[in-house]
Amino acid sequence: MRIEQSFTIAAPRERVWRAITDPARMAPCIPGCDAIEITGSGRYRIRVAVAMGPVKATFNLDVEVTEETPPGFVASITRGEEGTRASVLTAHSELHLAAIDGGATEVRYISEISIVGRLGRFGLGVMKKKAASLGDAFAQSFRARVEAEAAA
Amino acid sequence: MTVTFAVNEVERVIEADPSETLLEVLRERLGLLGAKRGCNQGVSGACTVLIDGRPMRGCLSLAMNCAGRAITTIEGLAQGDTLAPIQQALVETGAVQCGFCIPGVALTAHALLATNPDPSMDDVREGLAGNLCRCSGYVKLIDAVRRAATARGQR
Amino acid sequence: MTRAMGFHAPVTLDEATALLAADADARCLAGGATLVAMMNAGLVEPSTLVSLRHIDALRGIEPVGDGFRIGAMTTHRETASDARLDGGHAAVREAAAVIANPAVRNMGTMGGSIAFADPAADYPPALVAIEAEIEIAGADGRRRVTAADFFTDWYETALAPGEIVAAIHLPAMPAGARGTYHKLARVAGDFATASVAVVLAMAGDSCCHLRIAIGGCGPTPVRLAEVETRLIGGELDAPAVREAGEMLARAADPVDDARASADYRRLVIPRLLARAIERARAGGAS
Repeated sequence: MRIEQSFTIAAPRERVWRAITDPARMAPCIPGCDAIEITGSGRYRIRVAVAMGPVKATFNLDVEVTEETPPGFVASITRGEEGTRASVLTAHSELHLAAIDGGATEVRYISEISIVGRLGRFGLGVMKKKAASLGDAFAQSFRARVEAEAAA
Repeated sequence: MTVTFAVNEVERVIEADPSETLLEVLRERLGLLGAKRGCNQGVSGACTVLIDGRPMRGCLSLAMNCAGRAITTIEGLAQGDTLAPIQQALVETGAVQCGFCIPGVALTAHALLATNPDPSMDDVREGLAGNLCRCSGYVKLIDAVRRAATARGQR
Repeated sequence: MTRAMGFHAPVTLDEATALLAADADARCLAGGATLVAMMNAGLVEPSTLVSLRHIDALRGIEPVGDGFRIGAMTTHRETASDARLDGGHAAVREAAAVIANPAVRNMGTMGGSIAFADPAADYPPALVAIEAEIEIAGADGRRRVTAADFFTDWYETALAPGEIVAAIHLPAMPAGARGTYHKLARVAGDFATASVAVVLAMAGDSCCHLRIAIGGCGPTPVRLAEVETRLIGGELDAPAVREAGEMLARAADPVDDARASADYRRLVIPRLLARAIERARAGGAS
């Protein structure tokens, strides 16, 4: 399934770039993320707990940055699983940062996600809505964090 | 944990984990292989048994939650050597092909005829709506139920 | 299953809520039609099951004034076959009659079904159109919420951890009201691709009461009060009903999934609404 979202942050692009490419500052803004580990140059591992109704899943995700053009573009591949490989996830993602009027930044990300396994039973339609709502929550959290840092 | 329920009019005391389904207990602990695991999600109908006379899904029933119930499986439908009217009708109409759906169909139809002795075609179709058959195209299954209704009426 | 699961069969509601309050991973077991299917699929692993089977307070359909109290453990078959649920209340009876298949209707319960809040399930739009209230029991006592407030998101409800549905209250309907539930599905027994619940009453040729809720087209049933006020007082002519359906389609938030695309769901909403209104005016489904 394809997720595409964008949001604006009242902060200059260079500042947003530094925050979004720093897993220690970006990952905590993901709802349900409770562990981050740098595993190499451009590689990190995060753990994200997701709930959909009574179903609770904890994803262990390995993120690898495959291409980076500061301060505007990052491509990455995420591979992960939950429930000891009860579901397996692969995501190819792109992140675009554009400077916009007023010293602000538009953040746009596109992710092509595939999930196979037990969570596939839920139906990708609802999972896509869930992913979108997680994306909205991330956007709010990340924007608040970066704007607060910019104001400090 | 222990649970007690009747299977084909015989009281059974079952030692099972709460997560075990009635289907698993019938097949694996009691050796009653008539009820089949089709999908384990309650859709196929191959696991259908009667609980207190009503068709229910063996795969969606937890054995531990059946305390005190009366379970009827296909093995309990005939009386000695006398087939129930639906069983006789299924044979006579040639409705049985691979046989996988038949225990569920027979029990569902048997219960349907007990509450609706003269069902219309629509009544039969709706009554069997939860029993999937991949072989027959359903025509002869429906014929068998109507035939059994007639046979019951003549007894 | 590697971990031994606990199992309790309390006989009172207080016992049940106390057991659920004591263990965050305990789950209550109603009919099992959804919970056991999810356990079979490895989607949930309760630490303990609290069976509601023996709690008499959760059973039965009782008249209350001109309305009804439906116990949470009432099966779909019981609801579907209760001729007292006529007039406006027929919407929930018709919904019960098209859930899954006969065997599942013998097992599944209204409380269990609404607590799971599948966005494509049949009760939610019917209960919203009837303006039902959900009675909730927890360790701290009882409370009620409207059906509209009960369904909050995809597979989410207003139930707090440890709370269970005790009963569903159907209010009295306006004089002469008729309700219906119209479901579009790929095959009999499937969840709704899209569905419409309507409760209406006519004074001669003029509509004097109207409630519409759309199912299967968003996280929760779609209802727009402004659509209803526009149509009330009018004759429910085809152009007005089509416009109402299009407003509801624009307000819906359907998904693309195996059953249908979001576009298809938006397309059929006005058509299903027209059929549902026609059927309600003719006295409901046969």
